[in-house]
Amino acid sequence: MADSTKKKITVLMVGNPNVGKSALFNRMTGANAMVSNYPGTTVDFTSGTLIEGRQEYEIIDVPGTYSLEPRDAAEEVAVRMIRDHPDAVVMIVFDATKIDRGLYIALEVMEQGMLCIVAVNMMDTAHDKKISVDTADLQKVLGVPVVATTATSGEGIRELAEQIRKAQVADLDKIIKRLNGEIPDKKSVGGCGGCGGC
Amino acid sequence: MQKKLLELEFGERGVVREIRTSVHDLNCMGIRVDRELKMVTKQPIKGPVVVLLGEMQIAIGLDLAAQIIVDVIGKDA
Repeated sequence: MADSTKKKITVLMVGNPNVGKSALFNRMTGANAMVSNYPGTTVDFTSGTLIEGRQEYEIIDVPGTYSLEPRDAAEEVAVRMIRDHPDAVVMIVFDATKIDRGLYIALEVMEQGMLCIVAVNMMDTAHDKKISVDTADLQKVLGVPVVATTATSGEGIRELAEQIRKAQVADLDKIIKRLNGEIPDKKSVGGCGGCGGC
Repeated sequence: MQKKLLELEFGERGVVREIRTSVHDLNCMGIRVDRELKMVTKQPIKGPVVVLLGEMQIAIGLDLAAQIIVDVIGKDA
């Protein structure tokens, strides 16, 4: 049951086409957005509701986009959604087998100074292709929560829902410093990945 | 040896050295300077070329492929 005194928080699901945003959206909201195995299936947005920890979230499934400089109508919708919801939490969805491409849009979104959380989806496919993703290290570098998920099986969905409230604004200067080793690793306590959410 | 991406032969691998068109458009698709790729298919009748970048295949129009300069580093059988 949601606490009616708490304000509804909007969560935008942003990412490249065909990374499983709609599948993840369906898992989180119980909705029935159309899912297919080729890019460009979502050309308009779909919204649904998620209640987690007495907080109500409006989850919006945004069409996939490669960057925030739109090149077609679906990408325009995505960019407009981000522009129209400056206070929203942005859930950036990665394909675990194509992390570098996901990072490009992720950094573009982070430049906007919005609250972010990252979902590394399709972990099952990555596993099949013998690709391992160090989500804890990614979380340390980006400074936002990073959760490994598999939308088709439901793995990691609960953790992702719980982590939305820990979304952070990423500091790009700090990301660069961390990558250059200018900020020493803090000793993590009790298995904390260091997103800074606490 | 440097070539246009368009001129890579089937199975030839190259490293991107120069992008003479919108860098942003190609970067967001994963094509960056120093990235290794492999020619997979050239479609007939001036169709696109398909290159393999890590785990993903990307189809690129001929005009765009002519603007990407690569260093040939080898050929797979």
